[in-house]
Amino acid sequence: MAEVEETLKRIQAHKGVIGTIVVNAEGIPIRTTLDNSTTVQYAGLLHQLTMKARSTVRDIDPQNDLTFLRIRSKKHEIMVAPGNL
Amino acid sequence: MFGDGVARGADVESLWRRDQGTRCEAKSCQTEEISTVEVAVQSHSSRDAGMQTDQSEESIQDLDLQKEAPVDYAGLLSFLQGVEDVVIKELNKNWISHAFDGFEVNWVDQNETVSCLHNLSYPEAQDQKLQVTSISWNATGSVVACSYGRLDDGDWSTEKSYVCTWNLDRRGLNPKCPDLVVDVPSSVMCLAFHPSQPSLIIGGLYSGEVLIWDTSRIEDPLIWRTGMTDDTHTDPVYQVDWLQDSKHSHHFQILSVSTDGKILVWQTERDGQLTLVEGFALVAQQIPRSMKLKKRTRGETAVGVTSLSFSHFDPSVFIIGMEGGYSLKCSTAVETAAVPRTGSSVPLKAPAQFAFSPHGGPVYCVSCSPFHRNLFLSGGTDGHVHLHSMLQAQPLISLQLSKKYLFSVRWSPVRPLVFAAATGEGEVQLFDFGKSSQKPAVSIKQASAQTPVYCIEFNIKQPQLLAAGDASGLLKIWQLSSDFIQQGPREMNHLEQLANEVTD
Repeated sequence: MAEVEETLKRIQAHKGVIGTIVVNAEGIPIRTTLDNSTTVQYAGLLHQLTMKARSTVRDIDPQNDLTFLRIRSKKHEIMVAPGNL
Repeated sequence: MFGDGVARGADVESLWRRDQGTRCEAKSCQTEEISTVEVAVQSHSSRDAGMQTDQSEESIQDLDLQKEAPVDYAGLLSFLQGVEDVVIKELNKNWISHAFDGFEVNWVDQNETVSCLHNLSYPEAQDQKLQVTSISWNATGSVVACSYGRLDDGDWSTEKSYVCTWNLDRRGLNPKCPDLVVDVPSSVMCLAFHPSQPSLIIGGLYSGEVLIWDTSRIEDPLIWRTGMTDDTHTDPVYQVDWLQDSKHSHHFQILSVSTDGKILVWQTERDGQLTLVEGFALVAQQIPRSMKLKKRTRGETAVGVTSLSFSHFDPSVFIIGMEGGYSLKCSTAVETAAVPRTGSSVPLKAPAQFAFSPHGGPVYCVSCSPFHRNLFLSGGTDGHVHLHSMLQAQPLISLQLSKKYLFSVRWSPVRPLVFAAATGEGEVQLFDFGKSSQKPAVSIKQASAQTPVYCIEFNIKQPQLLAAGDASGLLKIWQLSSDFIQQGPREMNHLEQLANEVTD
C-alpha cells in the first residue's frame, strides 16, 4: 500500500507532470491527483481511446500489443500506459 | 226449379295460437349447473421489518474512490512496478526532446490578412461631429454597441448624444442605420454590456449619471438610472462595469468610476432607481507612499480615476489608472475608511494598496491579463505602454507605441501574448510578445493621422473580430488573421517567463 503511494508520488513529482490518474479495467479511476470532475472526464474519454488504439494495433497484427499511447496537443501532452488486460 | 236446401257451412281452421297450442309441444331448456367452489384465504403469519439509511461516515464526494472499485492492491502494485519505468523513461525523453520544436498543426483554413468587415456609422452623430467614445460587445458576441460623445472637449456641454447598436449577424445589416438608437441628454463616456443577459447595457455620462438600458424594449429602453442625488458622481464617469455578487451569482451590481476620485457600487431597485451600496474614494494622502507625489497637494484632494480593470483571477483585486499618471493596485476587501468627505449616504473606503511607477501623463487605460494573475498593461498619454507585474513597482517592459496619446489597450482574449492598442495617430497596433518585443506585429490604419482611435474591444465569443472607434464617428469591425485567433504552443510558458522577470 505504501509502495503504491510512493510509486505514484515519484511519477507525480517528475519534471513537467501536471497530474496522474490510475484507472482500472472497467475505466473507473482509482487513484488521482487531479480534481474529481477532471478525473472523471479524463478517465472516461481516455479509456475509450485506449481501447480503440489497442484494438487497432491488434487488428493490424494479432501478435502485437499496445505499449504506450501519447496524445500531444497545443497546450500539453497526455501519456497513457496501459496495463495487461 | 228452385228448391230449399241446406248447405253445410264452410269451416276455416282457426289460426289462433290457443288452438295451435294444442299442436305445440312443451320444451324446456336450462343451462348446465355452474360448478362453484367456496374457498377462504387469510394470511395467518406476519412479520415487521424496518429500514433506514445510515449516516455515511466518509465525506460526500462525487467520486467515492474507496468504495466504487474494490482495489486489488497486489495487482495494482505489480502493474505500477511494471509501468513506472516505462513512464519515467518517456517523461525523460519528452523533457529533452526537440522533435516537436516549431511544429504547428492547423486544423482550420488560415486567413492571412487583416481586413475590415464593416464600417458602421450613424449619420446624425457624424453631422454633429461626435466621436466614438466607447464600444461594447454583448454577451452573445453578435451585437456591438457604441456611444458617441466628445473626448477632446474640456467643457461641460449639454449636447445630446447617442448610443447605437448594430446586430452583425443579421442579414439586412445596414452600416448607416443602427438597429437601435437611444437618445441621451449628455455625452456618454463609457458603455458596458451585461456579461450574461444580452440586452442590458450600462452607460456612464459626462454629467456623472449612470443609466441602464434594456435594448429589447422598443418604446423606452431606459430602465434604471442613478438620477442626480448627493451620491452621484460630480465628474464625468469614465468607466462602468458589472460586478458579480459573490454570494448570489445571478445578482449583479454596477460599478462606476469617475475623475472625482470615487468608485461607486450601485444596486438596482424596483422603482427604476439605482441606489448606492458601497463606495471607494481615493484621496491623495491615502495613496501608498512607495511613490512620492511631485506636487504638494493637500492631503484631502481627491485624485481622479480614469480607468479600472478587475483581475480575472481574484475578483476582489482591481487595478486603477489615475489622472496623475499612477496605476494603483486596490482591493474591495478593505476596511479603512476614506478621509471623510461630505455628502455620501454610504461610508466610503480607501482601497489603495500599492502604487506602481507613473507614466508621464494620465493613464487612460489599464487591462489585467486574462491568462496570468500578476500581469497587467497600462497605457497613458505619453504614448507608452507599460507591462507591469503586480509584485513590483517598476514595469517589466515599457514600449513606446506612439508619439501621441494612447487611448486604449486590451489584452487578446485568446492569445496570452497579444494585446491591441489604440493610438492617437489613427492606428490600431497589435503587439505580440512572442514575435518581437520592440515593434508591433500588425499595425492597422483606421483613419488619417489626425483622427485618433479612441476605443477598441475584442469580441470574446468570436475572437477574430476587433471593433475600433475613432474620432470621425466611424466604428470599424476588423477581422483578424488566423495567427491572432489560436493560441500557439508554449505560449503560456513564455508568458510565465515574462512574468517571472521580476527583479528583487
